[in-house]
This record gives sequence, structure tokens and C-alpha cells, in this order.
Amino acid sequence: MTVAFSEEFVEVGGAKVQVLKGGSGDPLLVLHGTGGNPGADRAYVQGLAERFTVYVPSHPGFNTSERPEWLETIADLAFFYTWFLEHTGLEGTRVIGFSMGGWLAAEIAVMCRHAFSKLMLVDAEGIQPTDGELTDIFLIPPAKVAELSFYKPPEGMARREETPELQYIADRNREMSVRLCWKPYMFDPRLPSLLPRIKIPTRIVWGRHDKIAPLNCGELYQAAIPGSELVVVEECGHSPQLEKSEEFVKLAVDFLA
Amino acid sequence: MDVYYFTEMPYADFDENEADKYPAMRLTFPNTYFDPKVARDLFKRYLDEYQYAEEVGFDGLMINEHHNTPSCLDVEVNITAGILARITSKAKILMLGNMLPTSDNPPRLAEEIAMVDVISGGRIISGFVRGIGIESWANNTNPVHNRERFEECHDLIIKAWTTPGPFRWEGKHYHYRVVNPWVLPLQQPHPPIWTPGTGSPETIAWASKYRYPYAAFLTPLDVAENLFGLYREYAAADGWEPGPEQFAFMVNCFVADTEEKAQETGKEFIWRMRRPVAGPREYWSPPGYVPLRPPGDASPPRRTRPSSEQTFEELQENYHLVVGTPDTVIKKLRYVKERLGIGSLLLEAQAGRLSHEDTMRSLELMGKEVIPALRD
Repeated sequence: MTVAFSEEFVEVGGAKVQVLKGGSGDPLLVLHGTGGNPGADRAYVQGLAERFTVYVPSHPGFNTSERPEWLETIADLAFFYTWFLEHTGLEGTRVIGFSMGGWLAAEIAVMCRHAFSKLMLVDAEGIQPTDGELTDIFLIPPAKVAELSFYKPPEGMARREETPELQYIADRNREMSVRLCWKPYMFDPRLPSLLPRIKIPTRIVWGRHDKIAPLNCGELYQAAIPGSELVVVEECGHSPQLEKSEEFVKLAVDFLA
Repeated sequence: MDVYYFTEMPYADFDENEADKYPAMRLTFPNTYFDPKVARDLFKRYLDEYQYAEEVGFDGLMINEHHNTPSCLDVEVNITAGILARITSKAKILMLGNMLPTSDNPPRLAEEIAMVDVISGGRIISGFVRGIGIESWANNTNPVHNRERFEECHDLIIKAWTTPGPFRWEGKHYHYRVVNPWVLPLQQPHPPIWTPGTGSPETIAWASKYRYPYAAFLTPLDVAENLFGLYREYAAADGWEPGPEQFAFMVNCFVADTEEKAQETGKEFIWRMRRPVAGPREYWSPPGYVPLRPPGDASPPRRTRPSSEQTFEELQENYHLVVGTPDTVIKKLRYVKERLGIGSLLLEAQAGRLSHEDTMRSLELMGKEVIPALRD
């Protein structure tokens, strides 16, 4: 059975942002990566909604969310979310951040100690690896990024979007990601020094074969966040929520429940 | 009509097929193929050719700048302008130009351009460019900010030249406590500003707003016509009518004593039309470099086919390349001049693997026969 999601717009910090909401139970905030809002139909979103009231906002500048003029960096975006959480009454929520959204979740957590009660980072960007490099996803075609995101790329991943409207949103998401993450590319040099401030339960989930953000980044997050645990998903790339959906939902629910 | 001589100062002394091992012959093409001793000889040669171009009668010398590419050894127009300022004495020095968005220091740019204007005795034409998308990578400047940095950098430079210092600048991308460049341009209120383009309507609107001459680079003639037409429309809406001096067109050009020689040796230009203009879309147009247009919006005019896919004959038919005896070239360039209503012709008269000897003879014939004929 499909869990129904509603779409609403919340005005915070000078911008109306799109929020998908569905499911029942304690609130869970999902912070998306550079690809934009995953939508409600993904198996992992549905799986999470069976156990939580899931909020999936589109970050300012992504999908159909407006971008306030002042918002240019990931740190700006973190400020935005501290306000968003206050405005929506979601302070103290559980959170999952994927890829760039994981970086964002970490930034919010170090910025505001009562923003979240539990933190889950999934193949998060934001930290400079000491072994290997963050793959520059803007320098290679989107189809190649899609291919690199998987341990075993599924068939038909590399197509353009089906309609001009969806392609426009994909292009808009990519442009907003460039705005936020251009320099330094996909990391914040301050973050390793600030992560020890995080005192909430933290689970870090990583695909063993992540070719976008190497596992080394997960190890660095784990070493820097006191009491955190790193769970490695085998035969999996940058997106465990897509490539190992069931295993991922179980890892999330076990930790967050 | 003013005729300018231009070369990108290519470095073609390697097996160009090596480039096929990499995504492009730009940006990430390894600089292990570079030999400074070869470059030393090339710089000497190219600067000699610029001197000779002035001597044979070109009105101006055009220079440009690119990064991470063998197609252009010139990596700093202000350095080249400084050299030309001292080794030439009459010709205008057309810099097309300084890349404003990738500059982190507009007051320094204002000083540098003012300094070469003073040294050259007021011969500088200060072109301002956005830089191709690849420059956003090479200089690591956020492509999303390209146009706003272009405009703010321009505004700051113009103010530095025209408003007595010191003054403060607190913009979005640039912040200065004290803008007060000691060296100011000889030309008052400042050197002429030009801007080039290949199709972006935003650039044309901007150029027209400031009444800056607009140069179309290697576009098909019909595209150049459309771009100039758009400029005239913007100008008309602002209540003025641009003359030929507002329009420049760039074309590759080679003149020889016989048609056979011209057609044979003209093939050396193909190097320039192929790999240097090819490469992944991400290199040339990083996200944000070109503004997003919502579905249903009319697309701006675009080039028909990239020059890298055109045959030698097509390159000539499409006026990317004009080669021939003086008579042939005069006929063709007159056609370009009349059809486009331009006041300046920018002749890229050395490119690719064209040798020093062939370049010199071509320049000589241009000076003796082609340029005088185009003045009529």
C-alpha cells in the first residue's frame, strides 16, 4: 500500500519552499543531495513513511522552492534550516542527510545543538578525504555521475529527463548545487574541527564502493563525531537508499526508532 | 573601415592526435606536452609578426587570453599589451580582452590597463569579456556568478577611471576600503570599451546599454546579422542609432600569391577549427554559465554547426575562413563588410600551423592590396 504524501509551501527567510509530508509517527526530516527532492514514490521514502512522519523539503533553489537572494553557500543553507526548524516546530527532529544533504545535516548539527535529536549521515559530502578525492560531479556529464553513483548501475539510468519541465528542474538543481558547492569543491575546511561539538546519537552509513565520496570520508566523520558509528553497506555505491533500499530502511529504522 | 591583425599565439608543436586520449585539448590536456624552449621561439615569432602587421598597415593589433590550452599561449592580455606598447608605435592595441568575472582584483585591473594606455600613448582599446566556460574551471570562479561579477567588475573599473579617488566600494563580490589608483588612463575619460560575443542576448543588451562596440566572433554571417540586428533593436529602444563603428566581425584569413597556394596552405588553419573548439559540454558550459531558460522560452540564436564538424570547403562557404589571392579575399571581405555593416574587421591571420614565412607573406599582401581596397 502506498503512503500518501501532501505538498505544501512554507515561507521562511524570504523564500517559499516546497515540503512533501507523509506517513505517521515521530517526525523525520530528510535532506536531499544535489539531485534534488527524491519525491514520495521512492521505495525508501515509502519505507520510512511507514514508521515516521516524513518531511522532505526541497532546499531553497531546488525543485520548485524559491531561493532567497542572500542564500549562496552551504553555511547559509544551514542557517536557513535552523530557522525552518524553528518555524515548523520541527526542532529536535530526527534527520537523515544524503550526500550533499548529509554535509548540510552536519553543518546544522554543529551550528545548533538542539536542531536534531538523532543524526544519520549517508555517503555525506562536506569533508575532504585524506585518501582519494571527492569526484567532481560538475565536470562530468550527468549520465556519468549517475553511472558512478552505483556499484552496479541499473539499466536505463543515463537518460535525460522525460519532459522539458522535469529537465528544467534537473538543470535548476544542478545549477543550485554549483552555486552552493563550487569552492572549495564539496567540503567545508572548518567542519572536521567543529564536528566534535555533536553530542547526539549519530549513525554514519556508507556504500563500500562509493565512487563519488570515498569511504574514507565516512571514516573521518566517524572519527570526528564522538560516539558515532559507521555502518558500511557491501556491494553498494554512493546511494544505499537506492541501491540497497530494504537494507537501508532497516538500518535507518533500527537507529532512529 | 579599420582592419586588425590577430593571432591566438597557438602552440601546435606536438602530435595533435595525442589530444584524443583526453576529454579535450583544453583544461585537462596535460601540460607535459609543453616545452618552454619551443614557447620562447614562438613568442619571439608571434611578437615579430605583430610588429610586421603594424609596419604593413594594419590599423590595430588584437590580442586575447585563455588558460590551460595549447591553442593560446597568451595568458595575460595586459602583459602582451605592455610589450606591444613598446615594440609598436601607431597601431591601436585591441585587448579582447580582460576576463572580468575571473578577476578577484578589479582595482588592479584598472591600474594595469591605465598603465598600458599611458605607456602606449593612448592606443589601448579595453575589451571586457566574460571568458568562455572553461575559464570558470581554470580560474575556479563560480560560473553561477559569471555575469554578476562581469557587471560589478566593469562598474568598479569604470568608476576607478572616472571618479576622483579615494572612494569606498562595498558590492556583492568586491569590497575595497580605498579605491584610489594613482595611474589613470591617458585617453579620457577612459579607453574605448568593446565586448565580444557569440550569441548571448544578455551580452548584446549590456553592450548596447553602454554603447560599447560589439564584436561577433567566428559566427556564421546570418547569426552575426541577427546579433547585430538585436543590438540595433536595443539601441532603437534607447533612442539612438548605432553606426558601423559599433560593430566588428572576426574571421580567419589567409592571402597568398596564387589560389592553389592559398587553398593548399590555408588548410593549416584547420588545426585551429578542430580540437581547440571541441570538448565536453561540461567544460564549455558549466552549470550556471548560461542562464536557465524555463521550458517554452524562446531559445537565443545559436551557431548552426560547430566549426570542428565543418570541412575545409564549408569553413570557407560559412565565412569562418577566407583564403585566396588578394583579389578573391578583397571580394569576399567586401561582401562581409557590406552585408554586416561593420566598421572593424578582425583578421585572425595566423592560426594553427601556419608557418612564419607564410604568415609574413600573407600579412605583406594584406597590407599592400587588401587593406587599402577595403578602405574604399
